[in-house]
Amino acid sequence: MRVGGSRLRRQRNRRKITKIEKCILWIRGLWEKIPPDRIYLTILLVFGVVCLTATGGWKYYLDPFREGMEMFVRDLPDQEEGPDERQGEYQTGTGESQRKETPARPSEESAKQDPGQDPERDPEQDPEETRSFSFDTVEDDYFADAVFIGDSRTVGMYEYGGLQDISAFYASTGLTVRKLFTAKIVEVPGERQKITVEEALSARQFAKIYYMIGINEMGTGTAESFLQDYAESVERIRQMQPDAIIYLQGIMQVTAERSAQGDYITNEGIAVRNEGIAELADNETIFYLDVNEAVCGEDGAMIADYTYDGVHLKAQYIPLWKDYLKSHAVVYDQ
Amino acid sequence: MVFCSIEFLLYFLPAFFIFYALTPKRFKNVVLLAASLVFYALGEPRYLFLLLASVTVNHFVGRFLGAEPYYKDRYQGTGKYSTYLEWRKGVLLFAITGNVGILFLFKVAMRGEALPLGVSFYTFQILSYLFDVYQGIIPAERSLIKTAAYVTMFPQLISGPIVNYGEVSAAMSERRMSWQSVQNGLKLFTLGLVAKVLIADRVGILWNDVQVRGIESISTPLAWLGAIAYSFKIYFDFYGYSLMAMGLGGMMGFRFPENFRNPYMAVSVRDFYRRWHITLGRWFCNYIYIPLGGNRRGELCTARNLLIVWALTGLWHGGSGNFLLWGILLWVLIVIERQIKIFLDRHPIGGESIWKQMRLVPHLYVWAVIPFTWMCFAITDVRELSVYLGRMLGAVPQSAVQPNDWRAALHTYGGLLAVAFIASTPLIRRLYRRWRDSAFTNVILAALFWICVWRIMVEGDNPFLYFKF
Repeated sequence: MRVGGSRLRRQRNRRKITKIEKCILWIRGLWEKIPPDRIYLTILLVFGVVCLTATGGWKYYLDPFREGMEMFVRDLPDQEEGPDERQGEYQTGTGESQRKETPARPSEESAKQDPGQDPERDPEQDPEETRSFSFDTVEDDYFADAVFIGDSRTVGMYEYGGLQDISAFYASTGLTVRKLFTAKIVEVPGERQKITVEEALSARQFAKIYYMIGINEMGTGTAESFLQDYAESVERIRQMQPDAIIYLQGIMQVTAERSAQGDYITNEGIAVRNEGIAELADNETIFYLDVNEAVCGEDGAMIADYTYDGVHLKAQYIPLWKDYLKSHAVVYDQ
Repeated sequence: MVFCSIEFLLYFLPAFFIFYALTPKRFKNVVLLAASLVFYALGEPRYLFLLLASVTVNHFVGRFLGAEPYYKDRYQGTGKYSTYLEWRKGVLLFAITGNVGILFLFKVAMRGEALPLGVSFYTFQILSYLFDVYQGIIPAERSLIKTAAYVTMFPQLISGPIVNYGEVSAAMSERRMSWQSVQNGLKLFTLGLVAKVLIADRVGILWNDVQVRGIESISTPLAWLGAIAYSFKIYFDFYGYSLMAMGLGGMMGFRFPENFRNPYMAVSVRDFYRRWHITLGRWFCNYIYIPLGGNRRGELCTARNLLIVWALTGLWHGGSGNFLLWGILLWVLIVIERQIKIFLDRHPIGGESIWKQMRLVPHLYVWAVIPFTWMCFAITDVRELSVYLGRMLGAVPQSAVQPNDWRAALHTYGGLLAVAFIASTPLIRRLYRRWRDSAFTNVILAALFWICVWRIMVEGDNPFLYFKF
């Protein structure tokens, strides 16, 4: 049995080698058949077929046909990845109904799992139970037991907010709600391997959590799906940090010019998401901070002078944002 | 339309060359002209009429200017000949005023808003044609189709090189498109595409990064990194376009002049601008500098002529003040370099050998000065420009600066900057000349071509669009 098996394997190996050799010989034969003044063109065409197949680039050729003869080619495999994302752009018309449903859904789920720690209680339902609070102005040391979680804008706060040695920052360019749990972005002192935000949050307790995320998700999914993910992430953070005050910062608006640029980032889309985020605040341990008050003009868009690309605050205007946070520290009224 | 777009690479390029190759010889110019107009209209339909009008009027101006031998033969010595000569001068002046006036109107008066695509290039090309005809260097082209095809030819319509008619007039009537020319042209085109998409657009992100941070708040090393990144970006952008133009022209059997010759390997600013955008430098030299007297009327006059040339060069690039500043700054440097050279020629210090031993010093000088001047070119707001130059020179910052911000930038972009530097040396060109037809080169170039196409598919025309926040 053994002998037979190894022989079989050997034969198979032999056959494999000859196949590869044959292949090489075949390619070489083809190569020699191509006239030398056409070799580049030939390779270019072959690679082109490979490239267009691998990237789905045939759509550039097929789509015009498809549009022309939609009736006939409806059966072709769907390759539209780009347009799908575009559709994710929020439409205000349908938004009204979605917005009201969204925050409710995760809270229902959580109520089933863990009814005692439900952070999503509607503030309107139990106004009496809510501890009253007010916003106070604080100094930098307030942030000593705080963590900032966010995307490249929070990276800007890290670099130019003057809080590098005071607070913890779990921030990275391109961070999304989902990546919080998958992307290894947090450095651990003395360790080479980075860990995810989730792992970092379960390892260390904070008193305040500043959370701003969402601009990167504008292009994928809908406002509804984003808010669902967002609510879930707040839920997870709540579970891991039961004693922390969670500050949900509204997604910072972009400039009017950037908003009108014609891609998925629009101030309307941001506003809809912010409304949903604001509804997650229970004003007990979870608070909504409308940081846009600090950086936006009367039109509700980021002031153009504050930014180069219309999205990120310039370093010298980061203090506006920081000062807003400093003047909005929650103090519970006794 | 631009070369590095899906529309051009996947539709226009193959469609045009297949159609062009199948066209009988005597219709090739018509097809080239028609395709070029389509190419132009797809990018800027509004100014197609301006382009057509400009070409037509200037064609007939050219024919009038070129009729001099005819009048000389028939009417020399008579009043008719001298009247013609007077009219000839007048028509030339009128044509210059008209062409330059339109350019000036769009560049300066309208502050560069709504600038017709390629107007700076085709106006200069037309003017070079008229001047050459006027001076009798070339005969006037009789066929409107050929003049129009020469000016609007899509490979060089939008961003050069500025081809003299003498260089292509023979090819306008008789050129050969062969498998070999298509293959070599496509390879050159690929090199240009790689320079644009894989180098210029990538290093451009670092330059963008610096500005997003806010130029008030960058450290001095980061300000230099940003300036270096911009220097590479503008070079590979422009060089890439020139290479693509040469490649496309070469495919059809044209030979376009070389536009760049490793400018960052220059040893002085003068040397740099003999290697940078050569066809524009040549234009200013032939049609402004030399008619003004060049360098033959003493140093003072030379300095004046250079000043005129550089102020105009600045204006040609754009109407705002920073371009003028850029031109003047270069003029100052060039005049100083001239004087130093004259001084050294008269009083040789340590002889020639000492300068040959210090070969790196002139390079270091160029690498320090050129990024600095590029910033005057890049930042159109004069107040911002002064802030940036202040940061480069280490002036006291107005806002909080992270002293280590450059480390992260160097970490991310260091490799790319090194690649860009190597690509700025003559190395790649030498390797390409030596190994152009090897199987390895063929495979690598074809792969790079499609990698570029794939990048464009992902990013669109704008590499910052899909930039993550």
